[in-house]
Amino acid sequence: MKRTFMLLLLGIFIGTLLSLTGQAIGASSIVAAVDTPPRTMNPHGSDADANLSVMANFFEGLLQRKAPKGDLFPALAERYEHPDLLTWKLYLRKGVRFHNGNPFTAEDVKFSFERLSNPDVSEFINTGKSIALIDIIDDYTVVIKTKEPIPWFANNLHQIYMMDKESTEARDPGEAEVKPIGTGAYKLVEWVKGSYVKMVANEDYWEGPPPIKNVEMRPITESSTRFAALVSGQAELVSGVPVELYEKVLQNPKLEVITRPARRSIFLALGNKPGSPTADIRVRKAMYMAINEDEIIEKIMRGHAAPAAQIPDPPTIGYNPEIKRLAYNPEMARKLLKEAGYEKGFEITLSGPNDRYVQDAKIAEAVAKYLAKVGIKAKLDVKPKSIFFPQVARGEFEFYLIGWFDGTFDMGRTYFKLGHTRGEGYGELNGTNYSDPSIDTLLDPTGSIVEPEKRKKVLQDLNKMAMVDKIVWIPLHYQQDIYAIQKGKGIKFQPRPDRWIVFKEISK
Amino acid sequence: MFTYITRRLIQGVVVLLAVSFICFIIFRYAGDPVVTLAGRYATLQEREMVRKAFGLDRPFYIQYTRFIANAAQGKFGKSFVSRVPAFGLIMERFPATVELATSAVFIAFTMGVGLGVLVSLKPYALRNRFIMAGSLFNISIPTFLTGILLIMVFAVYLGVLPPFGRGETVTIGFWRTGLLTWSGITHLILPAFTLGMYQLAVLLRLTRAGMREVLTEEYIKTAWSKGLPPRKVIFKHALRNALIPVVTMTGLQFGELIAFSIVTETIFQWPGMGNLLLISIYESDQPVIVTYIMLAALIILSLNIIVDVLYAYLNPKIRYE
Repeated sequence: MKRTFMLLLLGIFIGTLLSLTGQAIGASSIVAAVDTPPRTMNPHGSDADANLSVMANFFEGLLQRKAPKGDLFPALAERYEHPDLLTWKLYLRKGVRFHNGNPFTAEDVKFSFERLSNPDVSEFINTGKSIALIDIIDDYTVVIKTKEPIPWFANNLHQIYMMDKESTEARDPGEAEVKPIGTGAYKLVEWVKGSYVKMVANEDYWEGPPPIKNVEMRPITESSTRFAALVSGQAELVSGVPVELYEKVLQNPKLEVITRPARRSIFLALGNKPGSPTADIRVRKAMYMAINEDEIIEKIMRGHAAPAAQIPDPPTIGYNPEIKRLAYNPEMARKLLKEAGYEKGFEITLSGPNDRYVQDAKIAEAVAKYLAKVGIKAKLDVKPKSIFFPQVARGEFEFYLIGWFDGTFDMGRTYFKLGHTRGEGYGELNGTNYSDPSIDTLLDPTGSIVEPEKRKKVLQDLNKMAMVDKIVWIPLHYQQDIYAIQKGKGIKFQPRPDRWIVFKEISK
Repeated sequence: MFTYITRRLIQGVVVLLAVSFICFIIFRYAGDPVVTLAGRYATLQEREMVRKAFGLDRPFYIQYTRFIANAAQGKFGKSFVSRVPAFGLIMERFPATVELATSAVFIAFTMGVGLGVLVSLKPYALRNRFIMAGSLFNISIPTFLTGILLIMVFAVYLGVLPPFGRGETVTIGFWRTGLLTWSGITHLILPAFTLGMYQLAVLLRLTRAGMREVLTEEYIKTAWSKGLPPRKVIFKHALRNALIPVVTMTGLQFGELIAFSIVTETIFQWPGMGNLLLISIYESDQPVIVTYIMLAALIILSLNIIVDVLYAYLNPKIRYE
């Protein structure tokens, strides 16, 4: 008797739980679970894509990029002119207001760009310092002069967000780190760190109010929990579906998977210190040929990657379709090593992060095994990204795995950063101290080539030389971005090349 | 008594200094925050400028003494990542962790003691052998696995409990609580169980051992032979005496639960301090990490001192001189 009563009570308890947890998400609202939490609500406080993505909902740049291809469109500037190599004249949009009602004018543009060089609030020091002066012609016309020619200046404007001068100066600096006031399509309702970011539509948005009125963005770092959130109906859109759960999502009739080739390529940087084995082009070629990339994609990436033959992805200026991968050929690799005098192989340390890219440590492990098959002993040295990247910045490695994509869609900046001989303003992320004067001489003048067709040609030639003649890097693959959404809710979502989730582009 | 407490406090300060020194050394070699702080595209010169702005170019001992001097005044520096005071960042997360740890301790204590008493009465009954085997299982199984299994069963397959987060919360003053809404309570169940599971097993075994010892004592036999009702014998005479080590254990573990709920909080995306610590380690946000560890050390130290002092009151046989 007592037992049946207890069971009944338990039944009622579970029943109530059931009815309460299956809360419905309204038609004009969306709950999205993302893999990385935002760090700050200061639009200049982080240059990580995860943060820029959240900021894109509250703030806007002078230009914007739109899904699905990431092409540039006008935003807070209606158009711009580029009269000479150093000058950018911007015509601002009239009648735009910040969330606090202040009108957007040239003063705000000047203020926002100047704020970039303040290390207390900005991670865009480089952009800030590259500007010589900002001239306000009138309320809606600004002239920006850069210290040196920057061909990708306009391509970067979508991620330089505009802040309200008056309120940012008046407010406590700490408040500007947590309460965004922008011109974007959404206003912040509440940010509870580690829990959620709630946004509400900005009904006065200059493009017109966005279709989804209430957004709740929840960061869930643990991938299996993110998956559970989706399956249990607590989230409708999930980014960063891990490759090992892909099949599970695919089999679930309630879910739909959306994939997109990612812009990021994964590759191996290889030093060429004079006298070291890898200074010999035959050795570099042999190492390239020894790696079975198809198997890496199939076994480690479970098919969620595409082979790469170069660092930039197809929409980038400088991508060269003529560059082909060297075919996997271990016999040839052994032969080349023999020719180069390394028949017995040599030792090398392969470094890499273990918490940054999809399956990063496993890829490094596989590479070491392939190299062992042709006699090269690669010692593995994988570590957390917080230790790995500073070492790259200091140039402490001889051989390492890394990934890259350039937010400006211009290969020039990437090459200056990764491939140029180290020096002031060059090669800060050239972690092996790779140095080749012929690459440098070809790269140096590209800074002042702006005319699109000419720039494309020069960068393509440079790319070919680096990847085919010099094998500066051994390319592996482009990652794939995997998203999942709840089926039957009418969610229209197109992923962007930069992996940002811009809620005004989503409808339901 | 007074000299004892003073001595313990001085010891505490020394331990805190040692902890902070070790933290400082470790995190000095665990990544360079300047690379992130200056942005991906910063030049070498710009990086040096940022290093200067944050005082990271100074020699180690100057950075350390400055940190201690500030910490003594309650200033713990700004987070490198979110650029707001680290202490505030941690305190914002404090209520979530305290609520989780308290619920975990509550579950562990009530269930651990309850089952412990039950098992001690008929140690060789089949059901009780199962309970004991289960507790062994609980001690050996790692927290992250318990968490994932619970999520899979209760959130994914049965769909009765939410898999992550805190649900709806209510703010009272600075304290954001999930205990006052139904949604908040349902969100608490799985993580609290996961966190309390190990403790539960430990307390169960401790209670059982204590009870079995006490039940063989002469005075218990006397109580039985007097014809007292079983409830009185078990709870009033036996359990009270078996409970002393159990209470101590619970007190000591409470501090650890608050300080080290990292794994559980990460699995359930619980917005507490452990979750923050893990993210801060990934981002090598040194001010937050050092502040957190100092606070954790402070909490554990104070709880230890309180337990020691309470002991003297509870058991007159103990004298600290």
